[in-house]
Amino acid sequence: MNNKLKRRSFLKCLGCGTAAMLAPQTGILPEIIGGVQNACAFDYSTELSSVEARFYKKLETGGIECGLCPRHCRITDMERGYCGVRENRSDVYRTLVYGLPCAINIDPIEKKPLFHFYPGTSAFSLATAGCNVNCKFCQNWDISQSRPEQTNNLVLPPKEVVNIALQRKVPTIAYTYSEPVIFYEYMYDIAKLGHKNSVKSVMISNGYIEEQPMADLLPHLDAIKIDLKSIREDYYKKTVNGELKPVLDRLIQIKNAGVWLEIVFLVVPTLNDSDDEFKELAGWIKNYLGVDTPLHYSRFHPQYLLKNLPMTPEKTLQNAYDISRAEGLEYVYLGNLPLHPAESTYCPGCGEILVERKGYNISKINLVGNLCQKCKREIPGLF
Amino acid sequence: MSSVCVIKYAGKNKGKQLASEKYQQLLEIGLKTLSGESKISDAVRKFIPSGVIGMKVNCLTRNLNSTPVPLTDGLTKILTNTGIDDNNIVIWERTNRELEQAGFDLNASSFGRRCLGTDTNGIGYSADFYTSGEVNSLVSRVMTDLVDFNINLPILKDHSIAGLSACLKNMYGAINNPNKFHDNNCDPFAADISNLEPIRSKNRLSIIDAIRVQYNGGPGYDSRYLGFYNGLIISTDPVAADRIGLEILEHLRKINKLPTLKQTEREVKYLRTAEQLGLGVASRKNIDLKVIAVDDTGQQSEVELL
Repeated sequence: MNNKLKRRSFLKCLGCGTAAMLAPQTGILPEIIGGVQNACAFDYSTELSSVEARFYKKLETGGIECGLCPRHCRITDMERGYCGVRENRSDVYRTLVYGLPCAINIDPIEKKPLFHFYPGTSAFSLATAGCNVNCKFCQNWDISQSRPEQTNNLVLPPKEVVNIALQRKVPTIAYTYSEPVIFYEYMYDIAKLGHKNSVKSVMISNGYIEEQPMADLLPHLDAIKIDLKSIREDYYKKTVNGELKPVLDRLIQIKNAGVWLEIVFLVVPTLNDSDDEFKELAGWIKNYLGVDTPLHYSRFHPQYLLKNLPMTPEKTLQNAYDISRAEGLEYVYLGNLPLHPAESTYCPGCGEILVERKGYNISKINLVGNLCQKCKREIPGLF
Repeated sequence: MSSVCVIKYAGKNKGKQLASEKYQQLLEIGLKTLSGESKISDAVRKFIPSGVIGMKVNCLTRNLNSTPVPLTDGLTKILTNTGIDDNNIVIWERTNRELEQAGFDLNASSFGRRCLGTDTNGIGYSADFYTSGEVNSLVSRVMTDLVDFNINLPILKDHSIAGLSACLKNMYGAINNPNKFHDNNCDPFAADISNLEPIRSKNRLSIIDAIRVQYNGGPGYDSRYLGFYNGLIISTDPVAADRIGLEILEHLRKINKLPTLKQTEREVKYLRTAEQLGLGVASRKNIDLKVIAVDDTGQQSEVELL
């Protein structure tokens, strides 16, 4: 049975910790609620969904094998996969989070970050509980490492999500915060419906997904940001609890499919901050994705299971920037360093500032369509 | 050296679910034997000195093969007869829904025996992480804040990944992120989870219900592989209790012509890891085992485990 909460109760419930990322911008939420539901209520669910998952097979020996991510969890009756949001019920694999986001917000697209995707616009952003890896530095661990019964979930079917975007005149829906791979069916249906209604979709992901699910999803996405955690398999094993190879394969797959791609690399002191790794990373991007693929180096803040490490020194980030530029990458950015010049986009041809950013704000755009206003060089991305 | 007492029901209802009175009788004999005390109240106080007592049940398979309600009723009767206020007894599991589906009546009030899921309003998980080896988890506040001691009440089951589901595996239900810890046949995770404080220090007694045993196809319910051992495995050492449970499980697999867990690549490695952590004894030669059969008249006789 669903418990319907009145607006006041809903906001109170958000305040109790629906999702940490809602807190900084709760000012936006009453508008969303008022605009969509006539200042009345969202539905808040204590029930989990039971929609059949895609990409699994039944095993002859009993149980099922999930084929959504490279983990290929084998799961017997009443058990869940590593993600914690998919359950075998009598050998039918079910997603428990379809239509049940635990975090929603309207964010600047720069926050994703996507810097070559309609700068200055916003994205209706959502996430459910769960994740298919367990990064020791996770900033949203309270939802990503939770099971859906441990979070407060809204009832928001795909149609409602698209309606919110339309009514709030938000051009894009972002699947973000936790890991959208694990709410694949929900994301897929929203993205498909969104396109029918001229609403774009962007996926903010770790890229730890199998080839076929990604191939099916790509036609319905407009941009993807992948968190490439490291260029070393060992780091993925020890710090992420995942694998590097499938992520690299997906990056190439996305690039080949022509969907706009940007990469974020979180620089964690002592773990993935060597000159060699920065050079290796830039070299791989140059060789396999092209020098025009934006790369964002992001500053680490002590979180979750890595509270013992310091923030990434600015010097280290500057070093990463310099090495990557020297390797030939044309669009390198530094994130979580507000007001740093490397937040802005520069023309690789004439050096003109193309998009000037101050934090998440855009202060100047010197582009005409996709062209540099000064030298008319074509800038990759969607502007 | 650790002591384990196995109490087998040898009456005419063998092969059926037991009533709470029968459970109470078997438990009293088992607890007295294990403690060496002649009075049940002394036996109880030897294991559980005072305070609020948790009973961690396993309700994964709803009412099909979860910790039986009559087992908790029989144990409750023993505890209250000893002078423990019934409101100081807390049956608990991950969620209220699981408890209800397994046949338990929820009660979070100040009257009567309590029964609640970690998802009960005001309970939830610890604010801080607890760490042991490979495990970093939030622990149910039932365990961290609500109870002083815990009695672990799993049922004996095969597990598709871990091989064995009993005492150590039941503690997956005490943490917020159990799905993250199933790689490598749950080794070392099952041991690490039981080594989290306060799980390690508050778990004072383990009682594995091995009346009905899911000897294959677990941890879910599969009627094709449900056998009857008709016994309770009782110990203060969860590792030793699991070790004896494993022997019973392998025996049932053998007589039903199934391969060993090792042959199915599900060797139970985490018990050895648990021993290395000092959680208990995994080696059979270091377990002092007593197996007692009890018939309907209450007649007791010492028998072999298998």
